[in-house]
This record gives sequence, structure tokens and C-alpha cells, in this order.
Amino acid sequence: MKRSVLILTVLLAVSATAQQPAPAVRVDSDTISGLGARNIGSAAMSGRIAAIDAIREGKRLTVYIGSASGGVWKSVNGGTTYKPVFDKQAVQSIGALAIDRRNPKVVWAGTGESWTRNSVSIGDGIYKSVDAGETWTNMGLPDSERIAKIIIDPSDSNTVYACVPGKLWSDSDDRGVYKTSDGGKSWTKVLKGTNASTGCSMMSIDPQNPKTLFAGMWDFRRKGWTFRSGGESTSAPSGSGLFKSTDGGATWNDLNGAGLPAKPWGRVAVSVAPSRPNVVYAFVEAEPPMNGLYRSDDSGRTWELRDRSQNMIWRAFYFANLIVDPKDENKIYKPGGGLIVSNDGGKSFSGITGGAHGDFHDVWVDPDNTDHLITGDDGGVWYSYDSGNKWWKAENLPVSQFYHVSVDNDMPYHVYGGLQDNSSWVGDSQYPGGITNSRWENIFGGDGFWVFADPSDHDSIYAESQGGELGRVNRKTLEIRGLKPLPGYKEGKLRFNWNTPLHVSPNGTLYIGSQFLFRTRDHGQSWERISPDLTTNDPAKQKQEESGGVIVDNSSAEMHTSIYTISESPKNANVIWAGTDDGNVQLTRDGGKTWTNVTANVPGLPKNAWVSYIDAGHFDEGTAYASFDLHTFGDMRPYAYRTADYGKTWTPVVAQNGNVRGYAHVIRQDLVNPNLLFLGTELGLWISLDGGNQWAQYKGADLPNVAVRDLVIHPRDNDLVIATHGRGIWIVDDITPLRALTPENLARESFFIDSKPAVQRIRAFGGWVNGDAAFEGPNPPNDAVITYYQKKRHIFGDLKLEVLDAEGKVVGTIPSGKRRGLSRVTWSMREKAPRIPPAASGAGSATTGPRVLPGTYTVRMTREKNVYTTPLQVVGDPRAKYSIDDRRAQFALATKLSSVLNDMTFAVDRMNAVRLALDDRASKLPANDSLRSRLYKASEQVDELRRKIVATKEGGMITGEERLREYVANLYGDVNVYDGRPTNMQTERAESLTRELNDVVAGFDRWTAKELPALNAALVKTQRSKIEPLTREEWEKTP
Amino acid sequence: MRKGLLLLAGLALFATTVSAQTADEIIARYIKTIGGADRLKAITALRRTGKYTGSGGFEAPIVHENRRPNMVREEFTMQGLTGVTAYDGSNGWKIEPWDGNKNAEPLGEDELKDIIDDSDFDGPLVDYQQKGNKVESLGLEPVEGTDAYKLRVTSLNGDVRNYFMDTDYYVPIKIETKRMVRGAEREFETSLGDYKEAGGVYFPYSMEINAKGSQNRTKYTYEKIEVNVPLADARFAKPSPQGKKPAGSDR
Repeated sequence: MKRSVLILTVLLAVSATAQQPAPAVRVDSDTISGLGARNIGSAAMSGRIAAIDAIREGKRLTVYIGSASGGVWKSVNGGTTYKPVFDKQAVQSIGALAIDRRNPKVVWAGTGESWTRNSVSIGDGIYKSVDAGETWTNMGLPDSERIAKIIIDPSDSNTVYACVPGKLWSDSDDRGVYKTSDGGKSWTKVLKGTNASTGCSMMSIDPQNPKTLFAGMWDFRRKGWTFRSGGESTSAPSGSGLFKSTDGGATWNDLNGAGLPAKPWGRVAVSVAPSRPNVVYAFVEAEPPMNGLYRSDDSGRTWELRDRSQNMIWRAFYFANLIVDPKDENKIYKPGGGLIVSNDGGKSFSGITGGAHGDFHDVWVDPDNTDHLITGDDGGVWYSYDSGNKWWKAENLPVSQFYHVSVDNDMPYHVYGGLQDNSSWVGDSQYPGGITNSRWENIFGGDGFWVFADPSDHDSIYAESQGGELGRVNRKTLEIRGLKPLPGYKEGKLRFNWNTPLHVSPNGTLYIGSQFLFRTRDHGQSWERISPDLTTNDPAKQKQEESGGVIVDNSSAEMHTSIYTISESPKNANVIWAGTDDGNVQLTRDGGKTWTNVTANVPGLPKNAWVSYIDAGHFDEGTAYASFDLHTFGDMRPYAYRTADYGKTWTPVVAQNGNVRGYAHVIRQDLVNPNLLFLGTELGLWISLDGGNQWAQYKGADLPNVAVRDLVIHPRDNDLVIATHGRGIWIVDDITPLRALTPENLARESFFIDSKPAVQRIRAFGGWVNGDAAFEGPNPPNDAVITYYQKKRHIFGDLKLEVLDAEGKVVGTIPSGKRRGLSRVTWSMREKAPRIPPAASGAGSATTGPRVLPGTYTVRMTREKNVYTTPLQVVGDPRAKYSIDDRRAQFALATKLSSVLNDMTFAVDRMNAVRLALDDRASKLPANDSLRSRLYKASEQVDELRRKIVATKEGGMITGEERLREYVANLYGDVNVYDGRPTNMQTERAESLTRELNDVVAGFDRWTAKELPALNAALVKTQRSKIEPLTREEWEKTP
Repeated sequence: MRKGLLLLAGLALFATTVSAQTADEIIARYIKTIGGADRLKAITALRRTGKYTGSGGFEAPIVHENRRPNMVREEFTMQGLTGVTAYDGSNGWKIEPWDGNKNAEPLGEDELKDIIDDSDFDGPLVDYQQKGNKVESLGLEPVEGTDAYKLRVTSLNGDVRNYFMDTDYYVPIKIETKRMVRGAEREFETSLGDYKEAGGVYFPYSMEINAKGSQNRTKYTYEKIEVNVPLADARFAKPSPQGKKPAGSDR
């Protein structure tokens, strides 16, 4: 076999070279993704939900959740459990979902959320699944960027309408209402906006006459510094309006007057009452006081203004949705900051937010029981079973939208981060029993961004909410002290970005940026302003009080001409970089006394790009990496550069049209290997092993193509902690293997990668049962992790992994991983479990062997003829209080008890063998033969001895019967579970149990010496074979 | 054995072009690779002996026995107590002796589905039509960076398994199993490797199984595969309840 496999390899190589030169080793996603990742959530905060659809299949409820930036989640049990079903698709932002009522296996997903806040993600078209979400096909509209609604003609599954608002940041013709009549193979734009910024914002169909459709059209545009929902654009009259078609979209009537407000309008929502389709509701964002809910009772011919309460009218760009009860045309749900409902046809509304998060976007009403609602808001999914009076939170959707992440130096370390509309949190990177929602603690409020533990004061955390509202939090009392820098006399506004940058240096110096850079070295008691205005200070980009479109909306989300990223050099605290949202890269080399604008030195970078991240080099102070983001100008490509001379010259490290997709949020250099780079974009995480020449997407543990907003490498543990905006925090445990992937190594067939010392983590008990409906993030393995590389997947022949101790004795064998690229396997750091004598039941406390002592071990891999080895350091848990002598005492006693159990098993096996032999010979003798009864009696004597060792009562009940076996196994378990010194009593008990066992064994030996010769003589006399007790040597050979 | 390997090497030469292939072509090449239909059919009984590896260093000896047409017995030994799961072609049963009850009990719905899958001597691809399985070729889908043909196998009971066949050798390297249990889906993934020859046929000596999305993997490593060992009917038939045989005497 071995030889032939070699031949095979050679043949393959020959056949490859005959055709083409040998290809270079592939460095792609799968080369690096064997380093798995852990999603630690959390679902405590969850995240924004954009769309919901559900259907009853039989008696069970199938639910699809479209998250704003974390894919599609499906439940087949009404929400008890969910699984993400869109993870393999190119984008994760969902705008619309529609299940085909005629065939629930058919599901449509419109990508690109239409709730167009400043942080909204992007889509790439409309997708269809014909197998209930298992697989998806992109069916077109690739440049739609966002889709607000999908409607399937209830009478014809092949006819589908897509309501496309289109691009948020740039002009585009790819917007309006699209129709397919062939199940998505081809699309026709059936309703076009009157200008390049007008698309469809909402759509509704008359289910009883599906040729009748209503569409709201919306003229909108966002820029980095302003937002316009409706109103006139600079180049064209407003295109917002309400339209009706009665011929399946072939022609449309512009609904004007007849009770509707005067133009210009902003965003429009529309909904036909399914139970009485002549009743149509429209929400129209218009000049106050005519903005509000309109109702028509004649299918849109005439309209009447109804409610215009706060939650009806505000922030139409975020909330313009209407959901009419499927059975009652007078009952309407309107998402808003609060969720409101009318029972009187829209005349009045009541708030039903209850205990939900708020900022609602969609509601699903169960047509079979209209008391049953599912809604989605900025904090996830909520269920009501009493028509919205009370809400039950979904605790299993980890679609949390982090902006930033940091770590502390605790052991295990904590993870800190702030989230879109979901505050600032501290979570455990690991915890006995798993990282449940309750292992995350909320410590601030508002929208959350940067959060840092103060390295100079363990009890303090810096956190902020939108617009630079900085606070210092006492982590024990949770008291907050506000620290935001304030303007001077008649100074006007300090311009703090929505996502205001904070930076904390290793000694606890804190920086915050408005247009100026501030520094404090006394925990915020005093601030130094260490820069002039570092931005362009362009007044045209400072008109936020006019932002909003038809109605002003100035929430600080559009604050501009502000500092956006800060990085102090780890090599020299006087070297500080600052990047602004309007395109400036600024550097001081004297701690802020003087600043140089080095923006113009960045080649090929369009003007005014957001400097999304600067990472000061970790190896010399002149080096820095910077990522730039131009998506607010409609350019979704990545930009990232490196300088090695304090910004005088810059080299691109990523190609705009290469394999890296999505606009860049963060670039980080490894702490050890200067050529190892990490790049987070709106569409995933990329890693370069060669300083930016080639990038491979990291997809370990199926990390989806989700926005990666921030990254941090834990300096002690070498973990990569990933902040996603839509799927929570992910941790790649120990990235040291990536540092070893040099081109020379990648060309090798296989090699081991030095592991960091394996910690024998203290055994602890934590957590509790949470049911199936709660998120739980996994811990890193408790075992030693061994990493190796294979150029090709191993399919044929042995791939054997063994662990040897210092003497060369094999102490463990490990099933091997086969995958191409990096493989990770684990070793329990335990010796073989003791043998346990068979008895009435198992001995659960003795199923694993003693934990080996710390020291140097060797891992040996045998791949066919090739043998590879690597050292493995095993160390104790640094948190443990016991000494190495304590540990040795524990190991010695565990080993002793293990060998007592082995001795005991030998003894019982010996007795059983004699007993069976006696019974066997007896059973072959005539019933009246005196030898027969002698043999049976002897067997009974042996069994009496055996019953002193093992429990024998059977039947599956809890007999409570304990004998030596149970006593020793339990003692062994107790000693084996705690690595410190055994208690004196445990040691004494081990002695006494050993003696008790020896007594029984001696009894058996005596019996053997006394009884067996006579019995054997009698057997031999009657031509029967003698009974020879099993020897230790023979026994050792049995399995 | 040598002949089989030469055949294998020869096949590999033709396998360099990765193109659309029908399910039947892929299955035919798979059967050829592992030794051919004749050798496969010449095996009527199989015993695989090895080790189960769970989490935290837990290991247990295992014995898996199959006999044509569809009998199977799977043993798992812990602390001298051997658990059995078996199927005699019509009845599935188990003995779980670790809590003091050594009687054979009937298998539950999900366990029975498992063992019926395991009872398919040559696996669901070989003679799939006669077995009533539907097989579709879904094109290429890489498995952890290795190109593979994806075959979707739908069993008579509606359960779906996706077989990922390596494009060089046409042997399965991964199987995704989707099974309905009490109306709810259960999804598993099985990775296969360490193919070695026994009785003229290549078998995977290593298997890893995990629930989809879980990083907890159950690992089976076979040390020995014996073919055409005598396996009496009694090994597969459900035993009658135990009498008062002394504990421990079943070793």
C-alpha cells in the first residue's frame, strides 16, 4: 500500500507536469481556515431585524428572519431554535423576505436593507431558494444594492415583484419596481423613478385581485455629512410619490390630490388590507402638518388623513412600514421608535412596545391566530401571544452589530465592545459551561462604539455612546462619570463623529477625537487639546441641522469633518496618527506639538475618503497601515496602504479589483510577524501572509461574509478577536500557526507548527441548563491543541498522530485531521483510563486517565513512510495556586489509584475465569455426581470473594450498592478532577482501600492454594482438564 | 492487493480533468477505485475493530460487524461492559449495560434510522437503483479546500445524504446526512479518511461525525478490518431477557 501510494503521487505529478508547469501552492481560504473560530455572540443584545416572514406548515410554524447585516435565520419550530441559512452567500444584509404560500419550499430574499441609517450595509440582488432555504440562487438585480419588499403573486408563483429603493450613496438607474413572470429568470422594470435617486420604498398587492398593486416611490440620498429623505435634489424635482397599477404593473397611475398631501414627499409606505382590499393605508412623509397616515376606502381613489402621532411620523427613512391585520381591515401596526397599533382604522394608535427594545421595522401577524405576532426591532426578534400586550424575547439570534472590540489582560481575558443601538458590553472569552447570554454584561447605554478597560486601573472601563458621549465606568458599582471634552468660550461645537474614536495606550493614556485630538493622563480629570483642527473643516459638510430631507433629522449620525481613527505608536508614544472622516491622514512625531498632513502622499486614493483605520506599526515607529472607505461616495472597493517612512510615501497593500471584496473598515498588522496582515471589510475578513501581495478570505468555522468592523490580537494569548457588524464577536484561538506559513513552508507536503504551551486549564463547573432556545458560545478546547499543515488532503493510507513522553513512551494517540492547509487536533493530556472490573453498572467517575504532569512531550505524525515530530510543552494553569510538588502528589495518587483499579480488574478477571471454568466443568457432570456439587460450591466460594470487590445487584435501579470497586473509582475520580494536592484523608483512604483489596486478593490466593489443587486432582482423575488461574502476563495481553 | 493499487493509480491518471460528470459515472469510478464490483460482492461479512474517541480523553474499544444482506452489530465497550446496537434485517435492538440493566431493548426511531443506514452493506451509492435510492449529481463543491463532486442521495424514507466524492479518486471524503426525526430535521456531517485495503477493497479506516455546526466531533478509528469472518445469526438477533446469570460472567 505505502509503496503504491507513493507511485500514485509520482504518477499524478508526472501527469500534471506533462500538461503545464507545476502550479504554485494555492494560498486560499482553505489554507488558513482550518484554524477554527468561536462565535461567542452574544444574543443578549442581538441586533437589528429588517424583515420577517413565516408560514404554518402542518401544525408547525416556520419562521424566516432577515437581519440587517447578519443573514437569514430559519426556524422550523416557531422560534425555539434557529439556524443561519444564508451564510454561504456573498452578502449578509437582508431587506425583504417572501415565502411562496403556494409552495413553502420557495423562499425569496431581497438583499440590502432598506432601513437606510448611516451604518446600513449593502446587498447584491434578489435570491431564490427552492428547497426551503437550504440553497440559494442569485436571480438578478445585482446592482440594486437594497430591496425593500418582495411580493409573490398569490395566483401565480412565477410572477414576482421586487420593490427596489436602489443605491443609497450614488445615482443609479437600477431602482424602481421590477417584475418577473418566469420565476426570476428575467426581470422587467415596470415602474421607474423620475430621477436617478428615486426608487421604490414599499409595495402592496390586492390579494383578491392580484393585478392591482400599489407602490410608494422614494427620492433619497445619503452622504457622509447629510441625508435627504425626499424633497428636491440639486439636479431634479423630487420623485417621491404613490402609484397604483391595475394591470399587473404594465401601467401605473400617479396618485395625487384626492386628499393626499402636497408634494414634495419623502418616504412612502403603503398597505392593502388583505381582508377588505378596497381599504388601503399609506404613510406619507410630507411637509408637516400633512405628514401622516392616510386611508382610502375606495382602493386609492380618495384619501383621508388619519393619525400623525410621533411614532407614526418620525424618521420615515427608518420606519416607513405598515402592516394591516390579515383578518381586520381596521387594525394596523406601524413600526416606529415604539410599535403602535390602531383598532379604529387608523384614527388613533396605542403604543405596544412593552418590554421590547424599540426601533421596530417589521411585524408578522399569524393569520391563524392574529393575537400571535412576531416583530423585529433594533434589538432582535420578539414574540407576542396577546396581540402585542406583552413580548417574549428571542434569546437565540446572535446577529449583534459590533462597531469595535478590545480585550483586557485578565485570565481568561474579557472582551469589550459597543454595538449599533445596543450599548457597550463586557463578555467572557471563555467560561466553564459555555458563554451564554448571561456571561455578557451591559455597562453603558445608547449606541455603543469603542470600549476599553483602563490598563492602569482594573476597576475602570472607558465607554461611549454616539457623538463622543464618553464615560468612565466603575465596573463594580457600574457608576458612570461623564468625561466628554467640552468646547471653550464661544467656541461652537466640538464635532464628534457618530462613531467617535477613542484610543488607549498601554499605560492608560486616553485619546478622543473631535475635530481636535484630546489626551488625558489622569483618567479624564483634565484634558489636553493636542492638535489644531485636523479635518478639512469644510463648512459645506457641517450643515447637519438642515439634514433629513422633507423633515429635519439630525441625530449626530451625519456629524462630519471629524477625527475617525487614532493610533499611538507602540514604539514611541510621541508618534501619533489621526485619520479623519473627510480624508486627512495626520501625524505628529512630538506628542502633538506639531502635525503634518500626509494625505497627499497616498497614491491613487480618491479625495475625501474616510480614513477608516490607522494601525501604527508594531515593529518600527515610521510604519503604519491605513484603510480607507469610500462607500459613502458609492465606491464599495477596498483601499489600504502602508507607509514605512512616517507617511512620506505609501504603498497600496490591496488591489481595488482583486479578490478582496467590500469597503475596508480595519487593517491590522500582526504583533509578531510583520508580513501577516488582517483586513476587515464590509463583506468579510481577509488575511495576507506576505505583507499584502496576496489575500485569502478567512472562513474558519463558517464565518460568513459579514462586515468585519474591528480586530484585535490578544498580546498574551495570540487570539484574534473579530468584531462583526451583524454576527457578534468571533475568536480565532491562537493565530501563531499563521505566522509559520511562509512560502517555503507552504510548499512542503506537511509540517508541524509550533504550538504555544498547552495549558492544563483548571477544571471548573459553571453554567446551567438553558433549554434549546438560548444562545451559547463555545469555549476553546480544554485539550492541548496541535496544528499541522498539509499541502493536500490526506485520503489514502495511515495518518497517525501519537504523543510521547520524555522517555519516548507513547502516552496518547490522536485521531488525525485530514484537510488541506492547516489542521487542528487536540490531545486530552491524559493517560489511558484505568481498567475497571465489570460489575452491575459502569463507574462514571473513572472513565478517563490521570492528567499527565507538566513537561515536554513530543507529537509524532506518521504519514505513510514519513515521520514528523514536534515538541509540545504542557504547563499548569497560571491561575492555579498549587505548587508543582502538589501537582506531583496529585498525579502520584491518581496514578496509584489507577493502578489499584488495574490490579482490582486483574483480580476480578482471575476470579471470573476460575469461576467460569468451575461452572463449565460442573455443568458437564451428571446431576448426582459429587464432583459437580463440589465444583459448584467452589465456584460459589470464589464468587463470595468477588462480591467483596464489585457491586452485583442488577436491574437498572439505583441500588446504592457499593463495594471496593465503587469506593476506589469514586476516590480516583475525586483525586483526578482537582490538580492540587490530595487531602490527607484521600491519601489515607487510598491506603486503606488498597489494603482492603489486598486482603481480598490474598484470600483468593489462599483459596487457590488450598482448594484448587484438590479440585484439579479430582478433575484430572476424571480425565478433565485442570483449572489454571490467569497470570498477570496473560491478562495484560487481553484488551 | 497490488493489482488493486495499480488500478487505482491508473484511474488517477484519467482523473485530472474535472468536468461535469453524471452520478452514474462518478459512482462507477468510485466502485472501480475501491476495488471493483466483483471484489466488493465477494465480501459477505465484515468486522471492523477499533477505537472511539470522545471529548476529554474518553476512549472506548469498538467492534462493528456487518453481514449481507443487511445485518449489523455495533459494540462499544466501557469498563468491561459492552453496549450493543444491532439490526437483524428486520428488528433493531440495543443493550446499554452501564446503568445496571443488561437486557436488550428496542431501538428508538432515530437510532433505528441510524442502524438501517449502517446495515446497507455497500453503502447507498452501490446499486442505488435497486435499493430505491435516488441519486443526483449536484456538480462540484469543495470540502475544506479539496474539490469534490456532490451527490445527493435520497433514500426511500425521504432522508437525504450528500456524498462528497474526491475528484482525483472518486471516494467519499465527506457525507452530510439530513434526517427527519419526529418531523424535525437532524443534520450530521461525517468525514472519511485513511482509506486502506482489506480483502481487496478499500475502506475508510477513519471517520469523524459531528452535528452540523458543532465543533464536538466523535471519532472512530479502525485498527483492523477483517472480511468474510464467520458471523452467526445469533450475533444480530435480539437476545431474550437475561436470567440470573452472575454479573461479570458475560466477559
